Amino acid sequence: MADKFLKRENLGRLIDSVRNGGARFVAPAIDARQAVYRAISGADEVTWDYILPRNSFKDYLFPQTEVVAEYSIGEGGVEIRGRELSPKDTVVFGSRPCEAASLASLRSVFTWDSVDEFYTAREDKTTVVTVACTNGDEACFCTTVGLSPESVAGSDVMLRETADGDFSVTAITGRGRGFLSAHSAAFEDSGSGSAQKPLFVPEKIEGVDISRIKERLARKEHYDDPVWAGLTRKCIGCGACTFVCPTCHCFDIIDEGTAFEGERRKNWDACQFDSFTLHASGHNPRDAQFKRWRNRFMCKFNFYPNKFNSRGCVGCGRCIRVCPVRLDITEVMEEMSR
Amino acid sequence: MENAVREKAKGLLTSGEVKVVIGWGWNRNGTRTTPVFITRPEDAGRLVWNPLCVNNLSVYLTRKFKDIQALGRPAIVAKGCDIKNIAVLVSEAQVKREDVYIIGVTCDGVVYRQELWKGELTPNIMPTKCHNCDVRNPHIADCVIGDRSGFVPPEAPAGMVFDRIKALDAKESAQRWEFWIKEFSRCVKCYACRQVCSLCYCERCITEKNMPQWIETSAHPRGNLSWNLTRAMHLAGRCTFCGECERACPVNIPLNLVNQKLITVVKDAFDYRSGYDASAHPPMIVFSPEDKENFIK
Repeated sequence: MADKFLKRENLGRLIDSVRNGGARFVAPAIDARQAVYRAISGADEVTWDYILPRNSFKDYLFPQTEVVAEYSIGEGGVEIRGRELSPKDTVVFGSRPCEAASLASLRSVFTWDSVDEFYTAREDKTTVVTVACTNGDEACFCTTVGLSPESVAGSDVMLRETADGDFSVTAITGRGRGFLSAHSAAFEDSGSGSAQKPLFVPEKIEGVDISRIKERLARKEHYDDPVWAGLTRKCIGCGACTFVCPTCHCFDIIDEGTAFEGERRKNWDACQFDSFTLHASGHNPRDAQFKRWRNRFMCKFNFYPNKFNSRGCVGCGRCIRVCPVRLDITEVMEEMSR
Repeated sequence: MENAVREKAKGLLTSGEVKVVIGWGWNRNGTRTTPVFITRPEDAGRLVWNPLCVNNLSVYLTRKFKDIQALGRPAIVAKGCDIKNIAVLVSEAQVKREDVYIIGVTCDGVVYRQELWKGELTPNIMPTKCHNCDVRNPHIADCVIGDRSGFVPPEAPAGMVFDRIKALDAKESAQRWEFWIKEFSRCVKCYACRQVCSLCYCERCITEKNMPQWIETSAHPRGNLSWNLTRAMHLAGRCTFCGECERACPVNIPLNLVNQKLITVVKDAFDYRSGYDASAHPPMIVFSPEDKENFIK
């Protein structure tokens, strides 16, 4: 049973209410012919015509590039100044269930051996408002990894579109309930009674068996299986899949500036780059692209579930859509289910 | 035509003349083409040829793909535009012409992006390069498959890319600068443009040289500008306008504008077009007393 209702024309009221409270409102907007999550200021910027935004909303929790410290070297020696983090309250509106489910995965990595506050401080201030999927494409495969277009994991508030274009609203978490009461003026207590719009449910890929994949990856013999090279030889080694992936989290620390002053930055990195595991000696343990691909697959279906007991892949399909050579992870999943 | 490609591949693999045929095949659902590497004659039936075969497979001939080179002598199914890149690779001593068997396919054009395909190749879903193509009949090949194309490209190149370049050229330099800063600001430094490019074959790209760090790896405006400008300059006089970098770009940066502009500049300054003659050297690496040098004022 829905807690509230949101009329589509009242989105502007919600945005104003959120922004007047000092928070950022992030929602899908069109940029360069694509739907992209961005901080917006009015309802006219929001697009409803999207399956998933091009980027993951991890951009707002784990920015592509950020300064973590500054340094200067003077007569008095080296001075290092850390960056105080005071993240803004953020509302992510229009998320999808697959993507929201990735939050627990990111958190598990960023709190594993030490707590990465650059991530956790932001996530703690983020409210995720998810819209259940009534639209999808052939790259969607949430049902194959055990999720669905109405999964609630990771969402604070869940919206279901009704046939007349409005939304029934359900609070999932305490933060979600707080959100609904803080912005109650934007919501209605009752709806028009119109039926819910049918969900887009991707067909489960028959040949894929997640537990079988885990089993196979747990056996060391798979490592030298020629199947890896055969399936992933076409990979060109760009980082597009990892950068759009909501659970990919690798970063690099670099110093930028002159010899006397500069900043230390945390930048996204990708296991698909050939320099990712290049040692100072010149040795590279992952010296062929299929080995890098094997690592990414292992990360999703072995490391994440075994080490963190969390989900490495949420089935959003972004990596499939964005791949310049159409390397489809579900085809590899199917092969590894054998 | 598709069958002829398969038969040819099968014959080459059976005779042992080549060890691998690089071509296009279907994905699982038969909705998109994807590169395939056929090593057994009985698998030749997986090869396809249709307007969705957009990928320029010549990238797989470069030294970036040592495991593909290890398979043995390759044959490659290639459109005329793909063959242009092979010609540059030969002229730059990256591939020996006799070390690759080119199965040329005549072409009526491909789609700009596969997701635009609705079952029919219409002019509005074809990239600018196809509308101006003078290599629909492959110009360098060991065999050519398909009926001869009678297509005659327009005398003055035309199409969306040229229109947009014209519009940009008409702007003040400050506005042009603003345009490119905005476009490059979306860059996420995934390097798909570089990785998909067969002419970006350096084993260590300048952006990976970090002692000192020549190009900042951060995806901030400064880092993005230096990366995109450097890559453009490294392709001047070499790029064949195959369009793969723009197609691969996940954030829709109009790289075709940069590349076509450079091609026009090189044509005007050096009367050179890359990709037509495997024995010609790109103008940026040769000195010629005939160079106009009218850019020095």
